[in-house]
Amino acid sequence: MAIADVKEYTHLSPEEVEELGRELDQIRADIEESRNSDDAAYINRMITIQRRLATAGRITLFASKWKPAFFAGAAMLGVAKILENMEIGHNVMHGQWDWMNDPEIHSSTWDWDTAQPAEQWKHSHNYVHHQFTNVLGHDNDIGYGILRMAREQKWNVFNLGQPIYNALLASLFQWGVALHDLDIESIRKMEKDPEVMKKQLKQIGVKVRRQVGKDYIFFPLLTGPAAIQTAKANALANLTRNLWSYMIIFCGHFPDGALHFSEEEIEDETRAEWYLRQMLGSANFTGSRTLHIMSGNLGYQIEHHLFPDLPSNRYEEISNRVRPLCEKYGVPYTTGPLHRQYGQALRTIMKLSLPNKFTKPARHDSADSVEVPRGRKKDSERPTRRTETGTWTSRASA
Amino acid sequence: MIDQPRTGIGELPFASMGDLGLDKKRVTQCALSRICGVCAQSLDRPVAFVGSGEELERNAFHFPPTHRACAEHALEHWAPSWSASLGHPSQPESWVMVTTSGFEFVRQNADAADRRPVFSPNSILEEKRTPALRST
Repeated sequence: MAIADVKEYTHLSPEEVEELGRELDQIRADIEESRNSDDAAYINRMITIQRRLATAGRITLFASKWKPAFFAGAAMLGVAKILENMEIGHNVMHGQWDWMNDPEIHSSTWDWDTAQPAEQWKHSHNYVHHQFTNVLGHDNDIGYGILRMAREQKWNVFNLGQPIYNALLASLFQWGVALHDLDIESIRKMEKDPEVMKKQLKQIGVKVRRQVGKDYIFFPLLTGPAAIQTAKANALANLTRNLWSYMIIFCGHFPDGALHFSEEEIEDETRAEWYLRQMLGSANFTGSRTLHIMSGNLGYQIEHHLFPDLPSNRYEEISNRVRPLCEKYGVPYTTGPLHRQYGQALRTIMKLSLPNKFTKPARHDSADSVEVPRGRKKDSERPTRRTETGTWTSRASA
Repeated sequence: MIDQPRTGIGELPFASMGDLGLDKKRVTQCALSRICGVCAQSLDRPVAFVGSGEELERNAFHFPPTHRACAEHALEHWAPSWSASLGHPSQPESWVMVTTSGFEFVRQNADAADRRPVFSPNSILEEKRTPALRST
């Protein structure tokens, strides 16, 4: 089924798709032209708040033998890590703040407080995930190589354990992400370039040593007799960040309504077609300003996927223009409260732990007959030219 | 290219297919992974762009971002005699190198005559223009 056959899309003529693209271009141009010192002040303020929280948390943990200080320190450190990973690190590495010409707040110099090396994140996330968003066989964010998240993914008995793998992935999210760009499936199939693998393993080793050394050796030892309690508090802060970032990320593409795409040649798609695929493959969630900041403004996942390199503090403003555009063109704008969006993602995880014959698809046009092999496709496996508009196909999530 | 590339300066720029021009998939990879179009390693700050005087006037470069040293290497080794490898089928009137802190990656619309994506530097720090050396 081509995207041209998807009911969310069929009513639009090619001219209307291009017109939608032009309207989105205008939004982009307006934001680019209006980036100013207020935006710069925003990211600087976030970094200041994050560093103060981290410092306060670390200092509080000197008294971590006392339970209230243990929990207060862990909470402050956990929030600092969430802010650093979600609103600062993720967005800085997208290049959202490169225009400021700040030597520190720049996509080429920022390294974040998590185990995955920045270079590998920029490949697996900025390129693979954002370019091949929700394309089965390309985007490894669909289940992180562990979970079956689409009916088109082949079921095997291993999938019965999905509820357990999901809990493990959530708890150990930092380490799962650290291994994400290695592409374990290609290593298993002996297809990985050994030179690239060696380089990546070395980078991961350096980063893991730094993270473990910082959170479980250096800072605990600094607190002297409270060292063990401090290490436990640091582990609690990391666990909090892991659970939170896992949940936010799973709300971005797996709630009902976010589509998966199962074949492509997307290199030749036009800007308007690319915009449309990003909109149909992403899902937002609603909430307070604080919730959006704590989630790196990924509650505006649709806007983030349309304009990944525009400053995150402007996504709310952008969404106020994108949503009416979706209504105007009759394109779905998937959103809902956080608990509902995550509930739907969790339901998909549970449902797809079983073979397709035991569950019902969420959409009438979701076919069970097409199966897509696991793992990323290699460059040589990708088509070289798209022959007509919309040769990728789309399926429902579950 | 789904896996990470091997890195280093080779016979050709990483993002190039030689006489066939630029490799569109790799251009996109350079743009999003923020790696150099010449050596495929992570970009530094500032980012450099190599192109023609016309591209500078339009603020729309076809060749992906590079390190400054890689841009100089490209201008020295490929620009004078093999402009196609840098995305120019014929020798331009002049070559330029600009450095910038940031850039926009712009995919083309359906009605564009040239469907290749372009890069628009958004915070230019330096411009360096050199007349093209035409090979004989």
